[in-house]
Amino acid sequence: MKPLAHVLFALLLAALQAAVLRWIGGGTVSVALVACCIVWAGLQGGNVDGSVAAAGIGYVLDLMAGTPKGLMTFLAVALFLAVRGVAAAVDLRGRAGFALLSALGALFLSIGATFLLQNTSAPEAAPGWGLAGRMIVEALLTAAAAPVLATGLRRLDGMFHREEPGLLR
Amino acid sequence: MLGLIKRYRELILVAVLLVVPLGIFFAHAKKPAERTRFDRAVVWITTPVERAVAWGATGVLRAWNGYVALRGSHERAAVLMARVQALELEQQRLQEVQLEAERLRKLLGFAELEGERRYLGARVVGIRLGTVGRQVLTIDRGSDDGLAPMMPVVVADGVVGRIHAVAGRTADVLVLTDLNSSIAVRVDRTRARANVRGLGKPDLCRLDYALRTEDVIEGDPLVTSGTDGVFPRGLPVGKITQLDRRQHGLFQDARVVPAVDVTRLEEVLVLTSWERPSEVLPAAYAPGKLP
Repeated sequence: MKPLAHVLFALLLAALQAAVLRWIGGGTVSVALVACCIVWAGLQGGNVDGSVAAAGIGYVLDLMAGTPKGLMTFLAVALFLAVRGVAAAVDLRGRAGFALLSALGALFLSIGATFLLQNTSAPEAAPGWGLAGRMIVEALLTAAAAPVLATGLRRLDGMFHREEPGLLR
Repeated sequence: MLGLIKRYRELILVAVLLVVPLGIFFAHAKKPAERTRFDRAVVWITTPVERAVAWGATGVLRAWNGYVALRGSHERAAVLMARVQALELEQQRLQEVQLEAERLRKLLGFAELEGERRYLGARVVGIRLGTVGRQVLTIDRGSDDGLAPMMPVVVADGVVGRIHAVAGRTADVLVLTDLNSSIAVRVDRTRARANVRGLGKPDLCRLDYALRTEDVIEGDPLVTSGTDGVFPRGLPVGKITQLDRRQHGLFQDARVVPAVDVTRLEEVLVLTSWERPSEVLPAAYAPGKLP
């Protein structure tokens, strides 16, 4: 149930992002809010529910971004694994850590998608490294929005958290 | 074997979630992604959110523009009235020029090439101009309003793009700056042919297939040539900049600043029907008169 809630949250977030960007900046800059959801799944979720949520969020990204099917799904699961690896090595609990990982996650998705598309798409239709500046700005904006999203995601997870009777604190 | 699967089931699940999408991607990478019924249903969920935000933002802006921003409107109205009068004079002059042009066209034996165009107004409710993926605008009109893929989308300044995908009450517009967009154009001054292709950035495109021998200079306005079968001819596309004419090769390189700033669009017009120009030759080149 929790992975489904994360996927639905990501879907609504993607729609909200598209609608809000139309009024703020009109797309001059972009932001990858959905990357935060994958990072959250990597930090807070288990191996099974986290990876399923990441794959679902990746499907949403494929659908909303119009990328070839499977591309963002693969990258989302890869990002989930990368976040789990980082979380195992470094203690990242605060909002700053989440924001940093979200920025790196957004960069990971952009660079990964560019690399894979350059090797599979027609050269004139593949994104080039000339978009690197936009990718960095996107990552920075994602980091700025990440703490707000962390609050939302924490509340969402709280809805699925059950106190065990008799648990000592 | 079963025990092994049970023991490593989490690892196997993650591996499957990693490998299967990669396989799907490599299988579909060269083909255009088509939305299935399930995909369309998922996208349909997002429509109310985009519409609600658009409705809320429009309300706030309307309240602001209708009350707060009216300060100083008398002065602005006086300036605008003077401008209207100047434009009316200019319009009268242009009507004279048009009548003259029609007379000359008849003299040359040209048929009327441009048929009646029908437009449908739409509001932009969503923008996706990300670094990867398609650069699309979502508009609040869809197949219920008669929209179909490949219909041209324009504003008064020029070409915005074309309809890419339609749902019942919304449609995605592939903007001219998308990497997959290519528009057949002519240089307005010299009638030289070329293509304008998107670069994935909202403020810049690339000029393709402009022959090195063609007379092209920076600042030249580009208009649609009508030869791609998508856009009618004569619509402004952009202006040439950063021209690089090399010493060798077939083509010259240039960038194009789009005539339309896609980041500032609020309403657009969808060209729902227009008559394709018939191949009519001038009277002097009619088959019976050829030597």
